Amino acid sequence: MKLNIAIYWGAACGGCDVAILDTHEKLLEIADVVDIHLWPIAMDFKYADVRALADGYLDATLFSGAVRNSENEEIAKLLRKKSKAMIALGACAHTGGVPGLANMYTRGEILDRVYLRSESTNNPEGTLPAEEFMVDAGELQLPRFYNTVKTLDQVVDVDYYIPGCPPASLQIYSALGLLADDMLPKKGSVIGAGDRALCDECARKKSEKTITKIYRTHEKLPDPETCFLEQGFICLGPATRSGCGSRCIKSWTPCRGCYGPLDGVQDQGIKMLGALASVLEPKDEKGINAILDTVVDPLRTVSRFSLASSMLRRKKV
Amino acid sequence: MSFEPRIVGFLCNWCSYTGADLAGTARIKYAPNIRSIRVMCSGRVDPVFVIKAFSEGADGVLIAGCHPGDCHYQEGNYKALRRYLLLKRILPEYGIEPERLKLEWIAASEGERFAHVVNGFTEQVRRLGPMNCKGALIESMKDDVLIHEEHAAQGTGERR
Amino acid sequence: MKRIAIDPITRLEGHGKITIFLNEEGTVENAYLQIPELRGFEKFVEGLPVEEIPRVVTRICGV
Repeated sequence: MKLNIAIYWGAACGGCDVAILDTHEKLLEIADVVDIHLWPIAMDFKYADVRALADGYLDATLFSGAVRNSENEEIAKLLRKKSKAMIALGACAHTGGVPGLANMYTRGEILDRVYLRSESTNNPEGTLPAEEFMVDAGELQLPRFYNTVKTLDQVVDVDYYIPGCPPASLQIYSALGLLADDMLPKKGSVIGAGDRALCDECARKKSEKTITKIYRTHEKLPDPETCFLEQGFICLGPATRSGCGSRCIKSWTPCRGCYGPLDGVQDQGIKMLGALASVLEPKDEKGINAILDTVVDPLRTVSRFSLASSMLRRKKV
Repeated sequence: MSFEPRIVGFLCNWCSYTGADLAGTARIKYAPNIRSIRVMCSGRVDPVFVIKAFSEGADGVLIAGCHPGDCHYQEGNYKALRRYLLLKRILPEYGIEPERLKLEWIAASEGERFAHVVNGFTEQVRRLGPMNCKGALIESMKDDVLIHEEHAAQGTGERR
Repeated sequence: MKRIAIDPITRLEGHGKITIFLNEEGTVENAYLQIPELRGFEKFVEGLPVEEIPRVVTRICGV
């Protein structure tokens, strides 16, 4: 019997859906074992079709994207009710991802920038999106834009997490294999990823070297074989789960942590701060501050994908 | 009711905690606002501990370790200093006043100084007022509520 | 007046819904396209190191 699944996106970019499609010919194997009941990017099902399903009818929902507005939350709750397993797919659903960076601001600041002060927007009347809008024939509605971005597990019970921005296609394939073979680990597990730090998987040479200067990526050509952090480039490898295949590292780009924290770590970004402080050479306040002065925007560097799931979750207002 | 700051103190086992002990045995009075947590070294204080304290309701966090050069583990206090300076830069980005975090070097013999630091920091945090991270987070989400549920139901839901 | 909601519109990147109003004769009186999605990249890239921007804005659309 085929598995019934839904694939949905909240505040997402579609990259996770494309990562599923990027399984290439393995997609045919996936199609052999699943029946899809919702997949906006690729198939024509409506919310009404999902509402018509019996509760628990779906074996699993793969939910990508953060919860940014009331529609995301409503559909997340709908799919939760219809699904035996809720799987957070990708960094946004798992840890908030890039959309979670909006938690540095309030709803008002974002609406103001986007609709009233954007250089490419001509909006002399200062019109903002309305949740209810009357036209001659009736009322039109838009979801509520939330003040605080949430991860999927902050609004519904989540059974499994497939991390990554986007998740590596083969990892999605293997996770679906676990589902199809009924081999899923205990609830709450991260699947389709490693259980060690990215540094363990990274092929670059590491020593116990400390650093005296932090470089931005355009300031120096990195040595191809040495650890980025030891060369002075901020790399989130020590605080990030393995499993991505070191994609960025192999492209000469330091890690930004899309695979999320390791098991038992409460806050990936703050954990990375600890690691970063450990590799700095100076022992006096002046010397340390001289290095830190060159770090632009430390919070959005170490919590690039995890701000919405960090312990403080958002900028205090 | 006047505001009594809640302060979490991470005290290193070898110097600062012993300093606090000395303040106690010498009957030196100091502000009761500090909740002391003994750690083996100031270098053991993961920045996660500090952020967790704030997120769970602390109004201020004090980290105290051995004077430079005196660390029982050679360099733990230097690591604490680097973490502290980095945390100081992160806190404002989270909307938290950096003055709510303090690092001090307090030796085992400095009971008097321990009391002085705790009193001074308590007053500093008192001036900053309550922090209430949890309450602020809940408040920030009070309007994040479902509206128009079943919005698709008002149409026929037909395809194309 | 009959109302048809196409929600969500599918097979594209992004969120959208179309509401169509039909008159008594069954012909289209009005149709509305709404985009119920906003993330606010315009705001949250402010102040980021410029060399990091390409790694962030690629998450606007991953298709």
